[in-house]
Amino acid sequence: MINAIIRIGTTTINVTKTFRDTFSFAFTIILKMFNKNSYNSATRQVLIHQIYFTSIQTLPLFIGISIVFGTLLMGIVLQIIKNLGLAEHLGRIIMDLVVTELAPFVTVLLIALRSSSAINAEIAVMKVNKELNTLDKFNIDAVDYLFLPRVINGVISVVLLSAFFSIMVLTSGLLFSKLLFGLSLESYSNVLLSSANFYDIVISLIKCCTFGFFITLIPIRFGLHATNDLTSIPISVLNGMVDVFIAIIFIEVLSLILIFI
Amino acid sequence: MPLISNLDVWVNIALIKQYHENLSANKAQELVLGYLTRYSLENISNKRNPALTNRERFCAMLLRAVMVRDSIVVIDRPFTIIPDVQDDRFIYDSLKSIDDSFKECHIFDYLWSKERYRTIDV
Repeated sequence: MINAIIRIGTTTINVTKTFRDTFSFAFTIILKMFNKNSYNSATRQVLIHQIYFTSIQTLPLFIGISIVFGTLLMGIVLQIIKNLGLAEHLGRIIMDLVVTELAPFVTVLLIALRSSSAINAEIAVMKVNKELNTLDKFNIDAVDYLFLPRVINGVISVVLLSAFFSIMVLTSGLLFSKLLFGLSLESYSNVLLSSANFYDIVISLIKCCTFGFFITLIPIRFGLHATNDLTSIPISVLNGMVDVFIAIIFIEVLSLILIFI
Repeated sequence: MPLISNLDVWVNIALIKQYHENLSANKAQELVLGYLTRYSLENISNKRNPALTNRERFCAMLLRAVMVRDSIVVIDRPFTIIPDVQDDRFIYDSLKSIDDSFKECHIFDYLWSKERYRTIDV
């Protein structure tokens, strides 16, 4: 009984510490984000490279996934709408499902799989190789030079790719709405525009920004946990990616609660 | 202090000027290429640390050090970076090529490496 209580207590303390450390690190990054002294030629160059690696290099894969997944999903959803006789709610269902929920979620999963793991490994390798000490010796703030551009890139990439995913899926929706409901381009656009809710779009935007922020911040934090031992790199990536997944679910649940209250 | 392995040589060297003096990437690259030309090492500009030979790595690290304004270069056990070099001729020549870019240079090494240095003030 006492052992069980000790275990619960230890777990609670560890979880609380993780939350406290993550939010404290997030606060540092946010402060740096709004400090103009954090930006210089070197940080801008890193930011451009990071956006290229995350948003541009991944574009062919992302377009493929958007077309295949989006087309199939829209076909099924519109068929269900037709079968249930919910044609008058067509626009609302598409906007809520695609723009607010699906697009940010699919985008963040893809970026987390590709970029978060890379960031985590990159920072861990730099820690093991003592390259972070090199920056420190040359009086280069690792937060400004390494972490901030990666976090900003996360936010920008998730927002842009999520918007892109929405556009791709909504375009494939046009095809199925024409086939199933006989809607023209103009009618389809009108249905979507009249269903677009400013509040939902703001929530979706905030959700994308939060996703982008945490799926880059958490891997950085875990990368810094690596020791001088090479074997600490896979452990750091493993723990980081588990926490990234938990963070994604946590943010998704929070956003759903916000939308439904 | 190792070179940063996921950056090209020119970025490693230019980083200090870009970060501390906000020098644009193009100007910083030009500056670095100018320095690399003194060593006839322009070809390593876009290479990364693991792809460098010991001598190329030594030169890159030296150039990175002199990017600091009014730099005092401290080389700690240089023969650990260039173990294939027998005496200080290569170190001396490397420093001579860029002697307009630093104020002082100090080399620290073990006593048993004394014979490898030809200079009088060892």
